[in-house]
Amino acid sequence: MNTITSFLIPLLLLAASTAAWGQHEHEHQHEHQHEHEQTHAATDATAVTGENISFTDRLTATPEIEAALANGGNAVVADVLGVVCDFCAVAMNKVFGKQEEVAAVYVDLDTKALNLVFMPGATLTDEAIASLAVQAGYRIAAVHRSDAVVTH
Amino acid sequence: MLLMLLTSAAVVGRPISYVGGWTFIEESNRQSTSALLHYTPSPSWSLGVRNEWFRDDDYAITSLQPTYLLKRWFGQDYQANVYLQGGLGLASGTSGNPLGSTGAGYAGVIADWETRRFFLGYNARYVEAGHFGDGAMQLVRMGWAPYEGDTRDLHTWLMVEVDHRPESKDPVSVTPLLRFFQGPVLLELGFNIVEPTPLINFTYRF
Repeated sequence: MNTITSFLIPLLLLAASTAAWGQHEHEHQHEHQHEHEQTHAATDATAVTGENISFTDRLTATPEIEAALANGGNAVVADVLGVVCDFCAVAMNKVFGKQEEVAAVYVDLDTKALNLVFMPGATLTDEAIASLAVQAGYRIAAVHRSDAVVTH
Repeated sequence: MLLMLLTSAAVVGRPISYVGGWTFIEESNRQSTSALLHYTPSPSWSLGVRNEWFRDDDYAITSLQPTYLLKRWFGQDYQANVYLQGGLGLASGTSGNPLGSTGAGYAGVIADWETRRFFLGYNARYVEAGHFGDGAMQLVRMGWAPYEGDTRDLHTWLMVEVDHRPESKDPVSVTPLLRFFQGPVLLELGFNIVEPTPLINFTYRF
């Protein structure tokens, strides 16, 4: 029993401290990200979507996404089914990151969305995005572009 | 000697990755220690090379392990999967075991349901290892995440695994464990409270 106790108590302490630290990091990152999003929505809405502010609200503005937008790429936000963990995000990032048309990719677990910014002048069709998502192991529910929503 | 054959293979991490992806999985529990490297050529199956050492029984199985995705359910907030898994290879004695090498194989089913807060998994497997013996097992794992981590955050899970190995001295055992998950890395640390043994699982997805 002493052996068991000596393992379980450190495990519980480790769990509690890690959970608290993880929650703190999560909240901190979200504050930072929301600042990004607000700044982005206020300053770059026209560059991203023309007149469509609601699309901008969908987009998660990471530094990589913002840099790709600033470089002149168009953005797409796709709702993804089944993304519940970081392995999901890694898979989507790997598959889409290999495409020469893609300048930046970010999977947001909170919004369950795949954020893509293309290279200037390039794009992927909705069908290509859906097919690539299948290769990653997931399914696209809808693709949002600046002026339209296509539901699959 | 009774054989205690089976491990919690593949409840740890998804046994099929993205197309073109490699995954390394190490598992160590009350009965065995294993290493698996698998490649995913299609969204519906993967193929790996696995070595599993049955510590108390002094032998190891080296096998080719295919995994097939039988069915996947998607939802906005969940994913569920049923996989079929098998393996064919060679069982060989270790630590001076005089028994010679022989053919070995195994087959099993894996099922999981997962949200960002809750996890439920089931795994059953039967192993045939020639003169080293045969055996079956099943296990259930339940998990809860105290917070919902976003992309690139550290994800923490509190889990408990209950395994049933009919031929074991302790047929049913319980292992509380912690799962840490960030990006391509997954680490699990636990301790079996029935047969005092640490559980250490590690997964890296390339």
